[in-house]
Amino acid sequence: MNMQMDGTFVGSVVLSGISIVFLALILLILFVWLMDKVFKAVNGAKKKKAAPAPKEEIKAAPAPKAAPAPVVEDGISDEIVAVIAAAVAAMSAETGKTFRLTGIKRSGGTRRGAWGNAGAAENTRPF
Amino acid sequence: MLENFLETLAALAEESGIANLTWQQGVMILISFVFMYLAIKKQFEPLLLLPIAFGMLLTNLPNSNMYHPELFEGTDISLGNIFKDGGLLDVFYIGVKFEIFPPLIFLGIGCMTDFAPLIANPKSFLLGAAAQGGIFFTFVGAALLGFSDREAGSIAIIGGADGPTSIFVSSQLLNGGGFSVDTGTIALAAYTYMALVPVIQPPIMKALTTQKERLVRMDSLRPVSKTEKIIFPILVTIVIALLVPDATTLVGMLMLGNLLKESGVCERLVKTAQNELMNIVTILLGVSVGATTTADKVISMAFLKVILLGVIAFCLGTACGVLFGKLMYVVTKGKVNPLIGSAGVSAVPMAARISQKVGAEYDPTNFLLMNAMGPNVAGVIGSAVAAGVLLSIIPH
Repeated sequence: MNMQMDGTFVGSVVLSGISIVFLALILLILFVWLMDKVFKAVNGAKKKKAAPAPKEEIKAAPAPKAAPAPVVEDGISDEIVAVIAAAVAAMSAETGKTFRLTGIKRSGGTRRGAWGNAGAAENTRPF
Repeated sequence: MLENFLETLAALAEESGIANLTWQQGVMILISFVFMYLAIKKQFEPLLLLPIAFGMLLTNLPNSNMYHPELFEGTDISLGNIFKDGGLLDVFYIGVKFEIFPPLIFLGIGCMTDFAPLIANPKSFLLGAAAQGGIFFTFVGAALLGFSDREAGSIAIIGGADGPTSIFVSSQLLNGGGFSVDTGTIALAAYTYMALVPVIQPPIMKALTTQKERLVRMDSLRPVSKTEKIIFPILVTIVIALLVPDATTLVGMLMLGNLLKESGVCERLVKTAQNELMNIVTILLGVSVGATTTADKVISMAFLKVILLGVIAFCLGTACGVLFGKLMYVVTKGKVNPLIGSAGVSAVPMAARISQKVGAEYDPTNFLLMNAMGPNVAGVIGSAVAAGVLLSIIPH
């Protein structure tokens, strides 16, 4: 049944609508903030446990701080190395874990080639 | 025999579309051509606007018998009658009327959405909420123009800038018949204005912000772990469902899609939901919603009012988002760029891209896109919650 509206009803729709939307999303802010705090606390505790051991190693070998450069097979251009390094950096940013590129080499393997391998994997993957 | 032949020809001629075409249907067919042109040539949301426009064409061809609005009137819709007496588009429209298609589209949207920018900066939720002000202030406008509560609610949801949400709400509020607007006209207005967001938003954003505010550089977002991305959809579903049960269908399907994607263990389901399922549902939804745009609903004063209120809704949504962004700029002592407030209008990712584009006009090195994605995806959740609120407040 249609209801022609009076000012009171319109006002109540606007007021309650805006308040409930804000309330719902503020609650979500609180829960997400809480989730962040819990994760930080858990990760902080894990780091503290791991911290004492590396400190001793660092005293023993203080010199090389830079990570060793990736071992790159001959014939792979600098441009490809840069693109792969950028993809690894993006993966680190996306997942929150730190990945390091240690080496790049061409895959050997069957004469099938990449597409053939992909097709075989697709067909033999368990359901 | 000749007499029989002539009689048959005469009968066929009498039943033909040409003999039964009214001027209103002729006008509607021309209007469908306009929307097809906008979809194909101007690329206005073509994935939905083109099927809607073609549905409009099909329904306004006389005696096509593809869609019968009377089968969906009244509160007790008979599926038996639809299958017995209905046409093809009546059968497709069951998916809209019984609230199946819009939630399935939300499932696909959830599979394609990345909530990381929102999780990294939860304050974006506030901008997503503020932009929904466009919905509720448009409700006032619709009331002032003489629409009833259910009509006004259906028109107001256009301000959510979300096609499936508009269809979901209007198909529920406008059941029973006797309204001056219908789901088709609401959807037409919603998708047309969503395509016009790049035209509507920038002038409002520039008018409501100062040069100093537009140049604010925001901090880059922290990395978000996979665990957080998995917990988020479960958390949102529970909180929203407990607070606004009428929003559970849309938010639940959105978050199901997102959880399937973020879990990383349902690749096949995600691929299907993002592609085949979305495409099938989009075709069926689009053409059946288009079929509801009969002449009496479009060639009317009410449709002109809907057109006017639609643009007002989008403008108000943008303004509310930007103004709240200004408030956050003041409260955070200049850490939030108000331009990202307009991205709370849930046209993903267009509204976020516009924040980036307008910001870059004043400082080409200012990269606002990821910061604007937070309010943008928050707006999707916000508009689904607003839809639930409208459905629970307005009696239907």
